[in-house]
Amino acid sequence: MALLEVRGLVKRFLGVTAVDRVDLVVESGDLVSLIGPNGSGKTTLFNCMTGYLRADAGRVLFRGRDVTGAAPHRVARLGIARTFQQVSVFPRLTALENLLVFLQQHQEESIVGRLLRLPRVRRLEAVAEQRARALLHRVGLAAHAGAPAGTLSYGQRKLLAFAAAVMPDPDLLLLDEPAAAVNPTMINHMKEQILALNRQGKTVLLVEHNMEVVMDISRRVVVLDHGQKIAEGPPAAIRRDPRVIEAYFGR
Amino acid sequence: MDDLLEQVIHGLTLGSMYALVAAGLALMFGVVRLINFAHGDFFMLGAYVFWWGFRELALPYPVAAAIAVAGMAGFGLAYQRTVVRAVLGRSWHVQLIATLATSIVLTNGAIIVMGTQPKEVPTRLSSAILDIGGFRIAGQRVLVLAASLVVFAALHWFVTRTKTGKAMRAMSQNREACAVVGVDVQRIALVTFGLSAALAAAAAALVTPLFNIFPDVGALLTLKAFAAVIVGGFGYVNGAIVASLLIGLAEALAAGYVSYAYKDAFAYLIMIAVLLWRPQGLFGRRIGI
Amino acid sequence: MARLGGWVLAGSVLGAMPWIVAAAAPGQQRYVLHILVFTALSGALALSYDLVVGHVGSLSLAHPAFFGIGAYAAALLATEAGWPFTGGLAAGMAAAGLAALLVGVPAFRLAEHSFAVGTLGFALVTQIVVTNWVEFTRGPLCVTGIPRPVFAILPGTRVRIESLAAYYWLSLAALGLVVALYRGLTTFRLGRAFHAVRDNEPLAAAAGISPLRYRMLAFVVAAALAGGVGALYAHYVTVLCPEELTIALTVNLLVIVFLGGVGSLRGVLLGAVLFTALPEILRVAPAWRLVIYGLLLLAFVIRAPEGLDALLRRRPGPAARR
Repeated sequence: MALLEVRGLVKRFLGVTAVDRVDLVVESGDLVSLIGPNGSGKTTLFNCMTGYLRADAGRVLFRGRDVTGAAPHRVARLGIARTFQQVSVFPRLTALENLLVFLQQHQEESIVGRLLRLPRVRRLEAVAEQRARALLHRVGLAAHAGAPAGTLSYGQRKLLAFAAAVMPDPDLLLLDEPAAAVNPTMINHMKEQILALNRQGKTVLLVEHNMEVVMDISRRVVVLDHGQKIAEGPPAAIRRDPRVIEAYFGR
Repeated sequence: MDDLLEQVIHGLTLGSMYALVAAGLALMFGVVRLINFAHGDFFMLGAYVFWWGFRELALPYPVAAAIAVAGMAGFGLAYQRTVVRAVLGRSWHVQLIATLATSIVLTNGAIIVMGTQPKEVPTRLSSAILDIGGFRIAGQRVLVLAASLVVFAALHWFVTRTKTGKAMRAMSQNREACAVVGVDVQRIALVTFGLSAALAAAAAALVTPLFNIFPDVGALLTLKAFAAVIVGGFGYVNGAIVASLLIGLAEALAAGYVSYAYKDAFAYLIMIAVLLWRPQGLFGRRIGI
Repeated sequence: MARLGGWVLAGSVLGAMPWIVAAAAPGQQRYVLHILVFTALSGALALSYDLVVGHVGSLSLAHPAFFGIGAYAAALLATEAGWPFTGGLAAGMAAAGLAALLVGVPAFRLAEHSFAVGTLGFALVTQIVVTNWVEFTRGPLCVTGIPRPVFAILPGTRVRIESLAAYYWLSLAALGLVVALYRGLTTFRLGRAFHAVRDNEPLAAAAGISPLRYRMLAFVVAAALAGGVGALYAHYVTVLCPEELTIALTVNLLVIVFLGGVGSLRGVLLGAVLFTALPEILRVAPAWRLVIYGLLLLAFVIRAPEGLDALLRRRPGPAARR
């Protein structure tokens, strides 16, 4: 059973078909890149998969379970994490708190326990904080743990958003253009992080425009154009695929 | 049957008043995305200016009405240059509170200056009963209905045929694009406000001979106008007009046949019902995210 | 440790107020205590409002309705059905909370502007119903003869809140409870969740936080608290009229919260003290007071939307204390 399966997904906006009967299968442990020219429907597909948009037709299955149309917070709790194309953090919370927010829904707790700050609660919080600090260290933001996220630079916020998505130990990580608008050093950093995660067994699906990144790290590439899947396969094959070349340059 | 017809006319009259006010509100939201909680007070101020011109200065009805409309148009311009400019682009919280605060200042300012005693403005038409095909109707109501039709026709012509009007429509769809293309966004915003306030004043000049003027009328009207704008779909002027007529009718029929005391609640109940059933309003479109 | 000491000191001073006032301003004691009671109740109400506006970021305009529902529930149960104080208080809170639940479910489906208008609509409908349903609420005739609170702290004891000083202590205790609850709800995990929903709802959802659930939680708890304050208010004024539910109360709350410091405990309390005590002391006519409030609100929301508390904190000086 595949980890993620998208069957015949369709999404229309005011007459334009943004996603046109797309099928997608992601196996556990895979590292897949979703590419295509601007407006080909990649982020729309992400949004439909994670509950931010309601698909007009088709199904999304996670571990065989139908999650089509589930609300975003439910999707997140099932083990699917995502980042956003416009980098998204909680600006008024510190970097550390940003990560803690992502973990809290995955810990069982009662409201009374929270209010009374029972010992068990405090222990859980200590563990959470430890994990958060370790993650910040891993992405190189340990020094900024106490800084409000809004004061961080664009690249730093991107790293923070990435760390936050990883924080709840998700089974599937959806990254929306992780390499966009950051300097080359950061890009390499990001590539390493993604590869490291994948080596640990995490499944990653990323939308990306940066071909170097795509070709470097992906095991498989899926190509969208005008909402339709036009090609799929290992990076080397996609690079030579005439349909892909035409989609990018033929217009 | 006569009774029902009378209530319907009453409802349409009420609805026309709401429609003139709601149209301005919808314009403001459509063109500059402003939630204007002070809108009903434009009506209230226009009514007092009209009263002053008609009763205190003993000017003829059309002249007093013109003064009210022109005066409020100027007020609308001043409002845009002061309060609105300060909060445009800020979060909608800020806009809501700022305009609500303005409304409080205007309403209570009116209480201080004019007192809380309702003022009457009887005109010749308000006491004249016309006989139309055996059916008797107050002359003023005919004026309200006829004038409203004229105003809405003029508004439609303005928005579809004139350059400024078309710019307003363009701005309501894509403000950034307009600025890029060279549309004078500031001027269009000014015109929108002047026009909206003038519409409210026109409503006041038409309707105050039928009802009394009191300072609190602004707040009541703002809410009903909002109800109409929401029911019609935020930003759709035509939707707001249709919704206003519906609300006016419902209110009159409810007041006549259900309960007079609760008539004000009907506008809000309709609004709540529509929001429950179709949150984007009767004519609005649902957008994802 | 110094922090705790500060709280104890403040608590002692506040608790000793009746005697302090008697000593400092003899002859004015009734008047000053009356202002203090109002301030305490106002502060509790404003804090409950801030939960919704400041911490979850939903601009609800329905709060006076919940206050009114609690007040009328307690008042009517006490006068018509002879219910004891504690029962009426609980019923008032429950009624307000239930109303919030019923209103919140549809209201939170709405986009922000519609939410504000929808809640305002609910507040107006409530006011109209309370004013006109004379058979039930006695409308403009007002509910009269609401008894002073009598309750038992320990089984067998009876506490009668008769004197003004006693009512002051009761209000102070209520305020203290609300402050404690406010802090509990707005710090640590729960507070983070609320703030996440407020500051970036889509991201909060991506973090597994259900925005609806947390908004509803804040909304319902805040409403129940408002209902409780309403009940206390009803027993204090002993005569309850529909005029209590007007938009003036909304304006008061907005002023206290936004000028004091939205989302800040200190700010809201500061706002409550300033904007309850000051107008009472200055004895301005209601219309003038509202004009001044409106202008202040306008000025602040444009220039200093974070409120006085943030302003004071930014400029350390004699006015600010850490």
